[in-house]
Amino acid sequence: MERLTFDLAGALAVLFAFVMVAQKHPVKSVLSLVVSFFGLAVCYVMLSAPFIAVIQVIVYAGAILVLFLFVLMLLNVPQETREKDPRPIQRWLGSTAIIVFAVVFVGVLARSGADIPPHAPFDRTAAADIPALARRFFSDYLFAFEAVSVLLLAAVVGAFLLAQKEKKP
Amino acid sequence: MTFTDWAILALRVLVPVLAVLSFVPLITWVERRGAGFIQDRPGPNRVGPFGLIQPVADGLKLFFKEDVIVHDADRFLYILAPGIALFTAMVTFAVIPYGPELTVAGRSIRLVGADVSIGVLYVFAITSLSVYGIVLAGWASNNKFSLMGGIRSSAQIISYELAMTTAAAGVLLATGSFQLTDVVAMQHGTWLGFLPKWNAISQFLGFVIFFTATFAETNRTPFDLAEAEAELVAGYHTEYSSMKFAMFYMAEYANIIVSSALTTTLYLGGWSLPGFTPRGLVGVLFSIAVFLAKTMALVWVFVWVRWTVPRFRFDQLLRLGWKIALPAALVNLLWAALLARWKVV
Repeated sequence: MERLTFDLAGALAVLFAFVMVAQKHPVKSVLSLVVSFFGLAVCYVMLSAPFIAVIQVIVYAGAILVLFLFVLMLLNVPQETREKDPRPIQRWLGSTAIIVFAVVFVGVLARSGADIPPHAPFDRTAAADIPALARRFFSDYLFAFEAVSVLLLAAVVGAFLLAQKEKKP
Repeated sequence: MTFTDWAILALRVLVPVLAVLSFVPLITWVERRGAGFIQDRPGPNRVGPFGLIQPVADGLKLFFKEDVIVHDADRFLYILAPGIALFTAMVTFAVIPYGPELTVAGRSIRLVGADVSIGVLYVFAITSLSVYGIVLAGWASNNKFSLMGGIRSSAQIISYELAMTTAAAGVLLATGSFQLTDVVAMQHGTWLGFLPKWNAISQFLGFVIFFTATFAETNRTPFDLAEAEAELVAGYHTEYSSMKFAMFYMAEYANIIVSSALTTTLYLGGWSLPGFTPRGLVGVLFSIAVFLAKTMALVWVFVWVRWTVPRFRFDQLLRLGWKIALPAALVNLLWAALLARWKVV
């Protein structure tokens, strides 16, 4: 039952990720991504990480994608139309790249198949323990955590600078 | 699992949803009578005693109205939007504890839909999704006023979500857990023998910010910029009629109930009352009554504020959210951290 839910959620996530790319209308692309993130969140719950699942929904589905929608609606981005020039060379290059990537990917998977343990030792209670997660964040991974926060701050300041109206000299 | 187990499970799932749905008509009645009271007029008083049957009449009227789907609307999203709005409003109550443990037929049942370890975060996740109902309604209607309402609502809800979660973080810091039953348990007892150990008293600033932010999250006056009938006709639900409109309407009142219940749980001690330990069935029923009384008091504040305070302008609304509520919530978080450090709470 758990396995089935996990597989279904994963399939949903992949399917809607594909719809997101194939969809011509930008607003519907964003909505497909929301569904895809939902599938991912269910996968996290099934992996006994409800905290990650909820953060995924709050931050990505609930905030970042709403901002995407906000911008798309504000600018009123129309539906994409088919290009008049089909650009044959790019299409050929793209298709070749996809095939090469697929072959390499499957090849690597097939060769390392024996190295991936089929049932990795996995502590379910430890994964669901939020205080333990927090403790690791603020001890083992403190440097990375603080570095990311500084990076985000720099991004905020940069965005603010770019958005500012130019002052006349 | 035996039949009794299944029955208990079904009840635990059904009670929170049905409770919210069955209180919605009552709250609409309270709102209209309250508006009448504040504006010195009777309000609806013809259908049934004190006009209590009026919500049923309104519901029937909406049910029999013509269901219009705008020609240029995006059909799928247009129909989906009210569903999202009502769904998110109904499922939030699932993690809010509405009473102590009840012992029936040798089984002890916690009176809460699902006592999950991430309780508060679940509520925030669902409320952050509720914005999709409004935004999609605004966009799919293909109407400039609806679109404006949807855009406003997305900016507003994201802004106030920050202040709201930061304020609630103070409570979580004091509790040391995300679980809402723990939050209620932590607020049992008194200080100095008479002051209830409620978070509303130890973190008064956080309480004010949180409750203010819930007004913005539920799109209620003074923060109902998403519908603002003076400028946007009816905002995001301009193009909706019949039951689809009714679903938005029900979602609004369900959101009020859920927000009040959540504020009660986080800041007013939930179902607990100082100096009272629930014993037996009567004690449990009394605890549920205490929870209902606190929630209804907050619902009345929603009604009271709507008919008293004029609507904000949009820039004033965002300024309040980012420049006042968010820094104040951070101050509250610092205060909560100090309290936890000194072991006062």
